[in-house]
Amino acid sequence: MVKKITTDEFNSMDKAGVSVLDFNAVWCGPCKMLGPVLEEVSEEMADDAKFYSIDTDENPDLAKEFGIMNIPAVVILKDGQKVDMNVGFVPKDALKDFVTKNL
Amino acid sequence: MERYDVAIIGTGPAGLEAAITAKVRNKSVLLLGGKGSSDKVSKAHTIQNYLGLPDIAGEDMAKTFLDHATKMGVEITEDKVNAIYSMGQYFAIQCHNGDYEASTVIVAAGMTAMKPFPGEMENLGRGVSYCATCDAALYKGKTAIIVAYSAEDEPEAEFLAERAEKVYYLPQYEYAGSLGGNIEVTLDVKPESIEMKDGQAVLNAKDSSFTANGIFILREQIAPSQLVPGLEMDGNHIKVDRSMATNIKGLFAAGDITGAPYQYIKSAGEGNVAALSAVSYLNSVKNN
Repeated sequence: MVKKITTDEFNSMDKAGVSVLDFNAVWCGPCKMLGPVLEEVSEEMADDAKFYSIDTDENPDLAKEFGIMNIPAVVILKDGQKVDMNVGFVPKDALKDFVTKNL
Repeated sequence: MERYDVAIIGTGPAGLEAAITAKVRNKSVLLLGGKGSSDKVSKAHTIQNYLGLPDIAGEDMAKTFLDHATKMGVEITEDKVNAIYSMGQYFAIQCHNGDYEASTVIVAAGMTAMKPFPGEMENLGRGVSYCATCDAALYKGKTAIIVAYSAEDEPEAEFLAERAEKVYYLPQYEYAGSLGGNIEVTLDVKPESIEMKDGQAVLNAKDSSFTANGIFILREQIAPSQLVPGLEMDGNHIKVDRSMATNIKGLFAAGDITGAPYQYIKSAGEGNVAALSAVSYLNSVKNN
């Protein structure tokens, strides 16, 4: 499952382990396409990582904090630290590989 | 939404032959592109080496191709493809006039002359973007440069300007628009290169340079790797194997877009192979 979160929720949540953050916006076509793909990946990798969705329009501070310039952007956190980022739509297999190599 | 068996992008020899073959194999076909085949066919003076059509004028060849396709029940949907997304079980095809879904896709869009600016690919996603509406939210209080290639980009500039502090709009076409406010239009700027300097994006032109938080390049022609995110390329061409399969499952390519020789009959032949490969892929998916 991909959980939609706000900046406040992000700041107060437990960041132990691997977290996958999907930065998006409602009017962004590629983001809309990436959503369901990430949802599938999150189901298959539920034991490995936690998946979150962040609306950049509602949470500009968080987008800024992670240096997001273009979306969709998928950021990987390890114990709260940014370790990798992928910008743009990616097919399911490639997205899965991207998360897997950062576990 | 109707999900087609095969979506074909392009109405040149590769696309038309692929559509005809898929029809023969009784698949539902969505053929996207121009109604008049490709310019490369219709504007050719004479073609001498197309089997069965000796010394034919390009215009006549285009007509022969289109008549054949029509006779087989192939219909052309006139639309421009913005992007093709591999969703796992199917493909989502975003077009100018709407969205489509298909189980397989054959890209037969021809060779694009598009050449990226030096520094463009290196900074893609890190200050360089192709979608102004996508990233508008990130430009609140920031500045952006738009390199625009058609009047259709003007609403996109306005959308971005609603959020950005300032937008530099550099039309690469005959500009006759009325953009104003915080959009600064500068005509006759020929971009030469792009670089990132101190976290800012810099666009260098012949006699000037522009600096902003980000650069948007809104070309009419899209490179295949932008058209299909995740697609593996071989230089400027789509990488395919002998079955015309790409690195993305269910996605095939045919014609000039796969590489030289740029011959009409080679394109048509590849269209045939791609369609048959798409049919076997459909069968293998169905049997699993």
